[in-house]
Amino acid sequence: CLLSAGWLPALHLVRHSSKAVTRHWKAMHFQRQKLMAVTEYLPPRPAVPPRCLPPRTDAPKEEDNGYARLLRRQVEEVFRDNRMIAVCQYNSMPDEDLMLMRHYLRKHNIEVKFVLNEIIRPVLSQSKYKNLLPLFVARNILLVSQETKAKEMLRVLKGVPQVNLLGACIDNTILSRQGVENFAKLPSLEASQGQTVGALALLPSQTSSLLQCGPAYLTALLDEHIRQLRAGDTGTPTAEPAPAQSSGAQ
Amino acid sequence: KKMASKIRVGLRPVKSIMVRFCPFESNVESTRKFLQCINRKKIQATNRNCEVTADVRHDGSEPLVHVMFADGERLIMKGANLTTVEMLTALGSRCNAKELKEEQKGKKNP
Repeated sequence: CLLSAGWLPALHLVRHSSKAVTRHWKAMHFQRQKLMAVTEYLPPRPAVPPRCLPPRTDAPKEEDNGYARLLRRQVEEVFRDNRMIAVCQYNSMPDEDLMLMRHYLRKHNIEVKFVLNEIIRPVLSQSKYKNLLPLFVARNILLVSQETKAKEMLRVLKGVPQVNLLGACIDNTILSRQGVENFAKLPSLEASQGQTVGALALLPSQTSSLLQCGPAYLTALLDEHIRQLRAGDTGTPTAEPAPAQSSGAQ
Repeated sequence: KKMASKIRVGLRPVKSIMVRFCPFESNVESTRKFLQCINRKKIQATNRNCEVTADVRHDGSEPLVHVMFADGERLIMKGANLTTVEMLTALGSRCNAKELKEEQKGKKNP
């Protein structure tokens, strides 16, 4: 070997710099640079770029996720058990306000439920609430209740600008926001029942007076006639046959 | 690709924003997401006086965003064919331009 024979290379290129590992950036030796350039990693390029190929659909997500099934069952229960379900858009609000709103609604027996669109959409598409599907985009909450206290709910929501009422399903009837406001303005069930009964009872109460109207008019005319006759007796007796004929013709 | 939640908008030159949409229509997604984004804490914190109102209709009208600026200018964006990111960047660029103008005016005057 050359080194053992006492031969040293003419230029000790390595010894010019102080150390191999420095704190500042040190340029690589030129031979090393060439080596690195030659052995650089080139990723394999497919013959046809992937964006020119028709989009491939991955295997459909398995719905056997137990948590998703549980959430779906909960949503189905909610739709079955509650008479009033209101859908609102939820824009982020501070936690204290959210707690207050939940508290006020709970006083009126209205529960606040946060829902995920990806869970509620398949449930709705298979049930009879298909028309509620377009509502479920962006973040939503459901306000559910066994009673239909629309007026109180609207009052609470008016004080919360970050929750916007989109629509509701009350007693299996889908209503828009305007529909909910009209529903809130309606009188209560007892009051409207009383009004209907009163309206229906009005006509029969008038039947007896209607039937008695004709004969009552006739008796009034005859009374008047008798008075006139008596007044006429004291005056002229020849006025008798003419009124007698007119009453006979009637 | 920009995420709609990452875009920052400074609402100082804005007086009020009115968002009108019809939730039973199918072209309202971007408008609703826009409403959600401008209601976030960070953007609301830039201007507490800015009122954001949502007008929910059921008359089949197209989704609309009506922005009133403090200097009287109005910006109307029809969201039926716009994406959320486009609407946010448009609003953001106009707000930035107005703020720059105000800063320059403030520097010139005193």
